Amino acid sequence: MEMLFHVVVFPGLLYVLLWTVALFWFFRKFMAALHKRIGPSFNGPGGSFQTLFDLSKLLTKESITPKGVNPYLFSMMPLLAATIAMLPTALIPWTPTITVVESQYSLLGLVVLIGIEPFLLFLTGFGSDNKYSFLGGIRILTQMISMETSFFLAALSPAILFGTLSLQSIVEQSTWLSFWILLPGFGLYFIALLGLLEQPPFNIPDAEQEIVYGFYTEYSGTNYFLLKLAEFAEFMAVFAGAATLFLGGFKGLFFESYFCLFIKMIIVAVFMMAIRASTPRITMKHMLDFSWTYLVPLSLLNIAWIMLAKIFIFGAVS
Amino acid sequence: MEGDEILMQNIKNILTSYETEYVEDYKKVWIKTKLEKSSDLLEVAKALQENGLRTISTVSATDFLSENKIEMNYFFEDILTKRNCWLKCDIPREIENCSIDSITPLFAGADWHEREVFSMFGIKFTGHPDLRPIIVSQDFYDKTPFRKDFDWDAHEENIVENMNMIAESFANEEEENEKKLDPHGSDTILNWGPTHPASGPIRLKVHCDGEDVISIDPDIGFVWRALEHLVTKKDFIGAIVAVERLCFMDNINSMVGYCQAVEEIAGVEITDFAKYMRVVLGEVARLSSHMMGMAGFYNAMGLHTVMMWNMDMREFFLDFLESYSGARIATAAIEPGGVRYGLQPNMLMELQSALDKFDKTKDDIRAIFIKNPTMKLRAAKLGIITPDEVLDYALCGVVARASGVKTDIRIDEPYAAYADIKMDYVTQKSGSSQDRLIQIFEEMEQSIDIIKQAKKHIEEKIESGEFDPIKDHMVKVPKKLPKGEAISRVEWARGEVLMHLVTEDKATSPYRLKMKAPSFNHTMMLNHLLAGETLSDIPLVFGSLYICQGDLDR
Repeated sequence: MEMLFHVVVFPGLLYVLLWTVALFWFFRKFMAALHKRIGPSFNGPGGSFQTLFDLSKLLTKESITPKGVNPYLFSMMPLLAATIAMLPTALIPWTPTITVVESQYSLLGLVVLIGIEPFLLFLTGFGSDNKYSFLGGIRILTQMISMETSFFLAALSPAILFGTLSLQSIVEQSTWLSFWILLPGFGLYFIALLGLLEQPPFNIPDAEQEIVYGFYTEYSGTNYFLLKLAEFAEFMAVFAGAATLFLGGFKGLFFESYFCLFIKMIIVAVFMMAIRASTPRITMKHMLDFSWTYLVPLSLLNIAWIMLAKIFIFGAVS
Repeated sequence: MEGDEILMQNIKNILTSYETEYVEDYKKVWIKTKLEKSSDLLEVAKALQENGLRTISTVSATDFLSENKIEMNYFFEDILTKRNCWLKCDIPREIENCSIDSITPLFAGADWHEREVFSMFGIKFTGHPDLRPIIVSQDFYDKTPFRKDFDWDAHEENIVENMNMIAESFANEEEENEKKLDPHGSDTILNWGPTHPASGPIRLKVHCDGEDVISIDPDIGFVWRALEHLVTKKDFIGAIVAVERLCFMDNINSMVGYCQAVEEIAGVEITDFAKYMRVVLGEVARLSSHMMGMAGFYNAMGLHTVMMWNMDMREFFLDFLESYSGARIATAAIEPGGVRYGLQPNMLMELQSALDKFDKTKDDIRAIFIKNPTMKLRAAKLGIITPDEVLDYALCGVVARASGVKTDIRIDEPYAAYADIKMDYVTQKSGSSQDRLIQIFEEMEQSIDIIKQAKKHIEEKIESGEFDPIKDHMVKVPKKLPKGEAISRVEWARGEVLMHLVTEDKATSPYRLKMKAPSFNHTMMLNHLLAGETLSDIPLVFGSLYICQGDLDR
């Protein structure tokens, strides 16, 4: 019974849906303020129902499958993408007591599940039989290879520091000291996260001014909704991952609760939005240049720093 | 003789060495002439080019049905020393004999202009390297829509067949592309437009290999409204609504250009007050256009904040236009004889609040978006246009000045009240995409300065009673105009707009109006600037050239 609650309500399906809708609304409102606009305002308090209506519209719209594609592959990919994007929620310790799947290797599960996502999006691009989607697919693959290296390396730093791959015990062992030690790692994780989530300035794969909508181009209706759901569910997984790995998860200043984790996730989201509102997109060339000449070497240096800190600072204190 | 006069005399010497009907001074910076023989054209053009008139502003044809001839007009310009030559010659009207030497091998900037004349009048340019129809859709191929005897009604009757024909030729073109390209290679032809999120109604046929652009062939004409034909169906005042639709973003200055040409033929001098009002309204329109231009630049890189912030400012300027004319965008506020309405005190208050809003916001915009490091990373070395290319391709306005070429019609050939305004050329150095953005921003500041000067002047003169803001705005222009022709140039938001107006005797509507608009030349540059770059650079260069499809297609 408890398991059913976890799967369906919290932190399962309903929670993910609610989070998606709420985050979408929050993004709109926050961007509107940065843009000196008002944002959605007619439906519900502060326009909060608008996203629900959009969602129901997308679900009831016709899903068009273009001629010449494999319809099975075309419609299966969004479903797979959404499912896989939701899976990491099971591994994250949401509160001191709620972790759906407790495992010694939950960190490994988290990064692999996050890392596999771009592959599926790349396949959606390949399966669309469209020049723009194809280019988008190629771009997403290039970006994935460049960004995941530093993403994995950054995610590795708390594992090395605490000597465990379990997210639960990483949170339990985290202190103010470990926060400061892990801060460079957090910066790298955040940058790699922007690349992995295709957020500005790394929104190259779905650059609408260049290749229309990249791998999304041919998708509409329910399939499009599923892809968007996958995107926002992945936001949640990645934000929660960042908060758990580097910011002490559900630990707070005065009490331990889901609320602390939520605040931390929102802080990461706000940073992401602020960058989105002020930074133009860079090109593939610049992204590759940046990733391999700066980001990857710095991630390696960060690992070295973590090792040193573990021996001389963290180890000495604890 | 002064230096300028010697230079002008040089042009006259060249022209008089050929058989001409007349060589005369026209306005301050023009020499007008008509060749006896159209076969001399190429030689004269070459001589003029060697004398420094390297730029061809436009090629315009006028169809004289009753005299059974077509008159060609060439507008040669020397942007550096501000000398211009208006060259005319006659060619036969029969479609078989209707041909003239192409000057494109000498003047690269004439390329599309000659293609346009070919499409509209069926004039063949011998020696043109690429004489395909442009602007018109497939159903107008081998027809002559701008000739006076073209039957538009008959053409419109077959509208369904025409549309099918266009659709068919698109499909055929796609098939041919597939055949032409190596099926095992990675080359492809990508359509950038006309229903692309960033393109607007223009289609760039991008031949690319993966992400690398090999060549670009722009296909234009998706918003062709045949404005130049449309004005001939309206009276002189009604024509302004067609003229302002050159591009809605800066509608005032295009109307100013047209009205000046009408006033010149009518022999009317407008009041000082109207001149100053034209400056104020024109600069407000320029600002609202430049704000959208900056937005277009950043939108091309996926950042919409600039657009929103600029829209926020622009609303205040549109408030002023609304309080003056009742309309925010298509104002129809300039009329032959002056400006359409008088000036009420509350309108100046609206203007002041817009100026205040700009002053309050500009520092933020400069700090965040003009000095943006990511923008510099992308744009500082992209799409560089050299000063020589500016002259050869007849680029103008923001694009020319960003390359360091000192050209500004407001200073070169002052119109309205610009002669009394203190202003100087605003230029950049390198001519890159980044410089074009900075140029737009600095010109916005210049416009604000001009508005402040003009506003102060108007307020002082109203105070002293020299201007009557309610009565002074118009002088009467006769309904019927004598036979004549005139050209008028204005510095439009995007660059030089040249209006060539021809009227018949006792005319109630224009006989021919040629509008030369800057985006036409700028779009011509796209292949040159983008070949060898990547797909990501297309929207950025396109956005930085500040192209509007309205004045591209007319």
